[in-house]
Amino acid sequence: MTQKHYRIGIMFSTTGSYSVVARSMLNGALLALQENAEAGGAVTLEPVVVNPSGDLERYRALSLELLGAGVRQVLGCYTSSSRKEVIPCFEKFDGLLWYPSHYEGFESSDNVIYTGASPNQHVLPLVEYLASRVGTRAFCVGSNYIWAWENNRIFREALTARGGIVVAERYLSVGDTEFDQVISAILDQRPDFVFNNLIGTSAYAFFRAFRAACRARGIDQVNEIPVASCTLSEPELAEIGGEAIDGHLSSSVYFSSLESPENAAFIAAYAKAFPEGPVSSADAEASYIAVKLLVAALEHAGTDDARAVRAAVASQSLLAPQGEVRIDPQTYHAWLTPRIARSTLNGQFEVLLEARSPIVPDPYLVQSSPRFASAMRSPLLRVVQS
Amino acid sequence: MTSRLLQNFKGGRALLIVGRGGKDGSLESTLAKLGVTAEYPEIVDGRAQIEVGNLQPERDILFVDGDLEGAVAIEVNPVSRLPPVPVIGLVGVEAPSRLKALVNLGATSFLRKPVHGGAVYTSLFMGINQFLLRSDMYARLQDLEGRRRGRRAVIRAVVLVIQQDGLDEESAYSQLRRESMRARQNLELYCEEFLSRRANAPDIPGRATSITLRGGNKQAM
Repeated sequence: MTQKHYRIGIMFSTTGSYSVVARSMLNGALLALQENAEAGGAVTLEPVVVNPSGDLERYRALSLELLGAGVRQVLGCYTSSSRKEVIPCFEKFDGLLWYPSHYEGFESSDNVIYTGASPNQHVLPLVEYLASRVGTRAFCVGSNYIWAWENNRIFREALTARGGIVVAERYLSVGDTEFDQVISAILDQRPDFVFNNLIGTSAYAFFRAFRAACRARGIDQVNEIPVASCTLSEPELAEIGGEAIDGHLSSSVYFSSLESPENAAFIAAYAKAFPEGPVSSADAEASYIAVKLLVAALEHAGTDDARAVRAAVASQSLLAPQGEVRIDPQTYHAWLTPRIARSTLNGQFEVLLEARSPIVPDPYLVQSSPRFASAMRSPLLRVVQS
Repeated sequence: MTSRLLQNFKGGRALLIVGRGGKDGSLESTLAKLGVTAEYPEIVDGRAQIEVGNLQPERDILFVDGDLEGAVAIEVNPVSRLPPVPVIGLVGVEAPSRLKALVNLGATSFLRKPVHGGAVYTSLFMGINQFLLRSDMYARLQDLEGRRRGRRAVIRAVVLVIQQDGLDEESAYSQLRRESMRARQNLELYCEEFLSRRANAPDIPGRATSITLRGGNKQAM
C-alpha cells in the first residue's frame, strides 16, 4: 500500500485569553494525529502548528502563510470572529478550514467543514430546558463580539416565543474581568437565571465574582440564580476554581463524563498523551473528530484538493466519543447529540438530559425558528418610577 | 407601527431567470440550505415563461439576470414601483443601463455574478424585507391619502353638527370621533356616511336650521 503524505495546518491560540480551551483543542487534534500515525493507514499527516495568540490580524496572516506554503487543509479557530476573519483567505486560495467548535450559525462557507455544534444543537435545547425547569426571566452577559450577540439573539427569540423575557443584556470586551456593575445589575434584577456567553478569562472571573457576591448577600446562587452557558467545559471548570466550580448548567454535545467504550478509550488516551492538561473538552473532542474525518476524507479522495476532500467527507461517519457523528452533505455541518449537564465539585459534568440520537444540524435555523423575527421587547428600556 | 422582519425563508420558491451559464455559482445550493427551492423558468424567444397571475408574494422570489434584456415582463405598480413579488437582481455587466433595468423591475436587492454562497442570505434578507417594508409603506401611504381626501367630509360633518346640534367646534369633533370609534370606522369614512345619512334623512321641522344657544355664545349661521 502506498502511503500518501500531507501537511495540514493546526491554528489555535494557545496563548491569550481563551488559551485553555484552545490548548485542549490542540491536544484533541494531536491525539487523533498520533492515533493515525500508530494505525499506519493510507495517509500520513504532518502537522504545521501555528499560534495566532488571539490576535485577529495574526489569524489572517498565518492563514495566508499556510495556504501560501501549499497547505490545503487547516484545522483551527475557536472564536467566530477569528473564523470570519480567515474565511476569505480560504475562499480566495481554495483551502479547507476545519472548524471544531460550537458557534452561532448563519454561515455555511463552501470552504469550511463545521464539526462543532450548530445553534439548534446547543442554544435551543438549553432554552427548552431552562424555560421548562428553571424559569423564564433571563439576564444575558457575554463577550462583546459576534458569538454573544447572535447567540443572545437566538436565545431571546426562543425564550420570548415561550413567554419568557430577557430583562437585560450586558457585553464586556474579550478578556475583561471587571464585573462589579454587571453583578450588581443582576442582583438588582433577580432573574431566574443568567445566560452566559462570556469566553475565556472573562468567564472564569465572572463565575468566581458572581458566586462570591451571592454568598456575601446570603443568596444560594446555584439554586436561586443559576448560570447557564453553551461554552462551559471541563478545563474551564478547573480555571474557575474550587470555590465556584459547581452547579453551573452547560449545553453541549460532549462531556467527558459520558459513559461509552469510545469515550473511555478517548479519555484514557488523552490523559496518557497530555498528563499536564488541560483536560479534554467538547471542543477538544470536536478537534479530534475533525482530524479523524479529515484522514478518512483524504484517504477517500486520494488528494488534499479542497473540493475533492469536501466531496469525500460528505460520505464519512464516525463512532466518536460522544456517539455517532456524520457530516450533513447539504450544509457541511455535523450531526451531533445535544446534552444538558450540571458541573460538579470534582470538575466534571453530571449529564441531566440528552437527545436519543444525533440530530441534524440546522445552521440557519430553517427548521427551528419562527418565520418572522419576534417583535423586539427591548430589555434596555424599562418603565421607571420617580 | 413597525414591520416585522422575515428571517426564515423556509417554504420559499425562487424563480431563477438566468441565461446560458447562469446556473454556475452557489445560488441554488445556498438557497437549498435556506429552505428555498429553485426553479428555472424556460426562456422562449428571449422571454421568461412565467405565469405572473400565479405568483404569490409570500412564497415567490424572482432572481433576474440583468444581462438578459427584457426577459421578464411583469407589471410594476406605477406609484409604489413595486413588482408583484420580491425581485433580486443578478448583476454581471455593471453598467448603468443594466442596473436601471433591474431597478425598473422593482429589484430591492442585488447579487454579483458568479454568485458567492456567502452573499445569498444577506441578499435574500434585504430583498424580501425591503419589499415588505415598501409594501407596508405603500399601504400606509394609500391609507393616509384616503384619509386626506376624507378630511373635507370631516369638516363638513363638524359644521353640520355645529349647526344642527348647537355644539361648539371642539365638542362637535369629539362627538363625531366618539361615534366613529363606536362604529369601528375611521373618522373620515364615518363622516362620509354621516353626511350621506343626514342628506337622505327626512326633514325634521325646526331642526335643520335651529341653533341652540349655550353659555351666551350666540352662533351665527
